[in-house]
Amino acid sequence: MRLIAPIAKRVARLALVLTCVALVSYGLMMASPIDPVDAYLGPQMAKVGPEQRALIAQRWGFDEPPAVQFGHWLRQLVGGDLGWSHVYNQPVSEVIAQRFQRSIALLGSAWMLSTLVGFSLGVLAGAKEGSKLDNIISTYAFITASTPAFWLAILAVLLFSVTLGWTPTCCAGPAGALNQEVSVATRLHHLLLPVTTLALLGIANITLHTRTRMLELMRSDVATHAFAQGASRIDVAWRHGLRHASLPAITLAFASLGELFGGSILIEQVFAYPGLGQATVAAGLRSDVPLLLGIALFTALFVSVGNMIADSLYGVIDPRIKAGGL
Amino acid sequence: MAKPIQPILLGIALSCLVVATTVHAKQQLVLAIGGEPEQGFDPLLGWGQYGNPLFQSTLLSRSKDLAPQPELATEWSLSEDRLTWTLTLREDARFADGSPLTAEDVAYTFNTAAQAGGRADLSALDVATALDKHTVSLRLKAPRITFIDQLLTLGIVPHAERDNGYREQYGRHPLGSGPYQLVEWQEGEQLIVERNPYFYGPTPAFERLVFLFTGEDATLSAAHAGQVDIASVPSALAANVPAHMQRVIMESVDNRGILFPMQPVNGEHTASGAPIGNDVTADIAVRQAINLAVDRDTLVEVALHGYGRPAFGPADGLPWSASDERLVAPDPEQAAEILDAAGWQLGDDGLRYKEGLPASFRLTYPSGDTTRQLLAEVSAEMVRPLGIEIQPTGRHWDEIQREALHQDAIMFGFGSHSPQEVYYLFHSQHAGNGFYNSGFYANPAVDAHLDAAQAASSFEQANREWQAAQWDGTSGYGVRGDSSWAWLVNLEHVYFTNTCLDVGDLGVAPHGHGWPITANLLEWRWTCD
Repeated sequence: MRLIAPIAKRVARLALVLTCVALVSYGLMMASPIDPVDAYLGPQMAKVGPEQRALIAQRWGFDEPPAVQFGHWLRQLVGGDLGWSHVYNQPVSEVIAQRFQRSIALLGSAWMLSTLVGFSLGVLAGAKEGSKLDNIISTYAFITASTPAFWLAILAVLLFSVTLGWTPTCCAGPAGALNQEVSVATRLHHLLLPVTTLALLGIANITLHTRTRMLELMRSDVATHAFAQGASRIDVAWRHGLRHASLPAITLAFASLGELFGGSILIEQVFAYPGLGQATVAAGLRSDVPLLLGIALFTALFVSVGNMIADSLYGVIDPRIKAGGL
Repeated sequence: MAKPIQPILLGIALSCLVVATTVHAKQQLVLAIGGEPEQGFDPLLGWGQYGNPLFQSTLLSRSKDLAPQPELATEWSLSEDRLTWTLTLREDARFADGSPLTAEDVAYTFNTAAQAGGRADLSALDVATALDKHTVSLRLKAPRITFIDQLLTLGIVPHAERDNGYREQYGRHPLGSGPYQLVEWQEGEQLIVERNPYFYGPTPAFERLVFLFTGEDATLSAAHAGQVDIASVPSALAANVPAHMQRVIMESVDNRGILFPMQPVNGEHTASGAPIGNDVTADIAVRQAINLAVDRDTLVEVALHGYGRPAFGPADGLPWSASDERLVAPDPEQAAEILDAAGWQLGDDGLRYKEGLPASFRLTYPSGDTTRQLLAEVSAEMVRPLGIEIQPTGRHWDEIQREALHQDAIMFGFGSHSPQEVYYLFHSQHAGNGFYNSGFYANPAVDAHLDAAQAASSFEQANREWQAAQWDGTSGYGVRGDSSWAWLVNLEHVYFTNTCLDVGDLGVAPHGHGWPITANLLEWRWTCD
């Protein structure tokens, strides 16, 4: 019984967030100066007469007033239908499903990598405070924390793909290979560079937080007691530190999902990786309202769930922070 | 959707890979020229309007000089009243599943496309009818010679009632009678196609084509890494040619020019609220002087890095444009004489005035288009010594439509394989209709020629009328007549191709860089062993 109230509160808050996201995104799309018929026609603007323009507007529903279009979209949404994307001439749910499969490989691997590497580096640096290793790790973390991901991505392509030829220049598979011919190793080879650059986004953050937690522990009574019994710094870090620092790291990892999502859109552009990022850019530039709203809702849901998990974990780490509180 | 038999495909694919790595004739060509249609390969929604429809075939095709020649249709005629096209189809055309293509499929394609609300404009069509298995008739609502564009560009799809017929997801599983058939489309990434064994025409030189849909940066990276055989490149980056590749230039009518508002200010507005008219550009002397003052060769060097040629009309070098339409420019002396004769006096501030009105106006370009910005700014410098002040102004397209479209000069880009564009740009019927005749140009003699062209009995007769609209000896929209535009440059489209690839005679590209290069794909050859 005591669990139901906070969960209900969370769900209500999530619904509110999603409603706001939908309204704001829709408002922005309506304020966007792009004429959807022109965007649809692209370079063929000058080949189409006025009758055909009217037919296009009618066929894709561009000619109704904004409020009517939004109402229509809401009604569909309540019926579980995200609408129809005119850019891809496909149901929005299909576009998102198809492209998210690709993005999740990139996002998931980068997320795992940044959590694991960030955590390990943080523990190492924190265990040996002030050592050379600590200085190197801290410096590295501060530098990458302030590096724009897309810039790093462009540099990486130039160095590893063009100059050295170690990694492919683009895409999720080699040119001319059918999906079924592409081995797991090849897929990983194509993911290597995008995942590494995206992971660099998250590593620094987690490293610095974990290091701070470790420092706390190494100066605590628990550690002093252990040292008195003859344990080495590594022993203490391994036995107590891991447990002490792992929860904040995981929490942070969940909370940084949103950042990662934003970063992945840029990274996908640089590596021409066909994920949700590409579809988002196309939807925005070509006034595909249902698709952009669908992606916005999906992203908001994804990030909110990540934050919710992070919130709940905070409660576990520190009982003073009550679940359902602010 | 029945999936092709995968093991067989895999076999073919693997053998291709094996063959491609040996020294035999090259089987697989990799192209990075953009042009991915996100909606898929559905002609009813506009696929194939440019370049090569690849999967489908069209009724007619264009020769090098853009005249219609047989493709699916072996004979065609237009009735006396110019309303009905009757076409006889070849009998050996088959879809990639081996079934014959008949007049039923053609009639279905045209009737459905007219209702589809896609990019193919068939609003002129009344009804298409299959007269027998190999004869089809297309009846129009009104005479319109440019309907021939649809015979040239609309790919024929299978009738919905038959096996493997047209259905909603056709764009992702296209079935046609063209030279290639789809093997796999990895959306946002690449398209893999192989020869259609039932194609009626000559066997294409390459068994397999791979189209990479990468952005500019990734395309260049891939070209420098030696992973593509042909890549489209922006002219600004054309200097640095990768090893084992050469630069190939495709001529185009992808043009840029200055549209002048033709009406004096009279307080009128369009339905959208945009004010109409400009007292300075409404004076023909100003328009003629600007046409004479701009140095088009220098504009090509500065704004296009040398990849272009001077432009004097909307369709330079095409059959519906007068071949002698050009100016000896720059000629500042003659420009100054014209202005003096028209009463534009040079003031102390270096600006000309006529009855107190300064010779000054805005030249609006879409912000973000650096080429157009350069053209606007350099042209402004070129006419300044004459005493004319052009103020280059960057705005978003939306703001251009609401504010500038009918009262400022606009830096436009056009260029089409069809004279329909000439009709849209200069017929008074399209005055104020979106981007078409936005300067409200109206000349009854020009209208008469344009209407006569649309009602012509043949492509050739229509061309004579299109040319007369530009200049018929007494008037016209061109530089010898009303000088309604100052056309500046035609772009050249730059590609890097493998030194072993012979792309033949590329012809002339329309507005748009990339896919149009595939128009003569069947002529491409691999010249190395």
